[in-house]
Amino acid sequence: MPIKVLAFAGSPRRNGNSETLLDWVLAAMAKDPDVLIEKIPLTEANINPCKGCNACQKLNKCVQRDGMDSVHDKIIEADIIVLAAPIFCMGIAAQAKMLIDRAQVFTSRKYVLKLPVVPVERKGKRLGVFLSTAGQNWSYVFDAAIPSVKCFYNVIEVKDKDISYLMVNHVDEKGAILNHPTAKAEAEELGAAVIAEIKKRLAA
Amino acid sequence: MTISVLGISGSPHRHGNTETLLDSFLDGAKAAGAEVEKVILKDLDYSPCRGCNACHKTGECVVKDDAIALFEKVLKCDCLAIASPIYTMGITAELKGFIDRGQYLWARKFIFKTLYFTDDHIKRHKGLFVSTAGQNRDNVFDGAFPAITAIFNGTGFEYYDNIIANNMDEYKGIKNHPTALKDANDKGQKVVRVIEKLNIPG
Repeated sequence: MPIKVLAFAGSPRRNGNSETLLDWVLAAMAKDPDVLIEKIPLTEANINPCKGCNACQKLNKCVQRDGMDSVHDKIIEADIIVLAAPIFCMGIAAQAKMLIDRAQVFTSRKYVLKLPVVPVERKGKRLGVFLSTAGQNWSYVFDAAIPSVKCFYNVIEVKDKDISYLMVNHVDEKGAILNHPTAKAEAEELGAAVIAEIKKRLAA
Repeated sequence: MTISVLGISGSPHRHGNTETLLDSFLDGAKAAGAEVEKVILKDLDYSPCRGCNACHKTGECVVKDDAIALFEKVLKCDCLAIASPIYTMGITAELKGFIDRGQYLWARKFIFKTLYFTDDHIKRHKGLFVSTAGQNRDNVFDGAFPAITAIFNGTGFEYYDNIIANNMDEYKGIKNHPTALKDANDKGQKVVRVIEKLNIPG
């Protein structure tokens, strides 16, 4: 069985700092021949914002027909879900917030309709990775993004303790992360560690 | 001089809890003699920030759409009330999309130094955050405050107050909240009087 990795590049800027960080993690994961990776740039995903209509609380599906239809299924099927997004104005970029808010259908499924989000044999096994970059050098620049990220993972059945984080501040202009002293090594280490952990879990 | 109050509603649905709370605030401001305008973000045509950083070279945004006109309006008002419900522990993507577009003002402030707000200006311009959340957790608004702080800082407003109410799911709507709507109306009246006082010369 292949290990399915679903990765979201959540920046409006293609191949910028957060996506480079993502690519480093994915390259390390891809060294394992069992790993099957799909990377979705949110700029091309055609995911609209949540309308807040709460219809999913009754319908168990979203009333909007857009790129989220296929992303929804891919989220359920993945063993590892990676979200990479930059910080803009002290919060996660709007493009990534759109994806996060559209996970409302999973919230409704889990907490309102009390239906399973993933098959029971995979519950508690999935892993999440949040990667982020910020131009500011403040240590707290990522703080406001984390509650939304935790919420996103929680409703798609990835527990708090199963989310890994790599957040790099003080990288602003495109390519700045290439000059960061440790980011690449940390990303590679993280990618390898997450694959080792999922293999252990799936074998158990 | 009449005090101008601008309310921006970042909710995707009309006349819900957050917009109703904003309306109460704006009604209070109007009752105190202010000139009031409400803008509904979902009715505007704008795209999120592209992160292209072109504004760091020119001080202008390369995307010409309704977001720029709204920032011009923001820079002209005396009081700014920004409203958004909490979705997934943060502000809505619509509001975040607008706030992120203010990057060109950041560039004017910090790179070109063509935009500057004196302490006196900031004192006389009050910003309020209006929000509701379904959850009853006390920390449910925490993820929203930093981005709201960012837009107030970027546009020259003192972050004056919050008008927030959680636990909407249990109350079954803002109209059943014991105090929120009246508090919002009172705060609308009060902030206008406070700004008026600050604007008296001498």
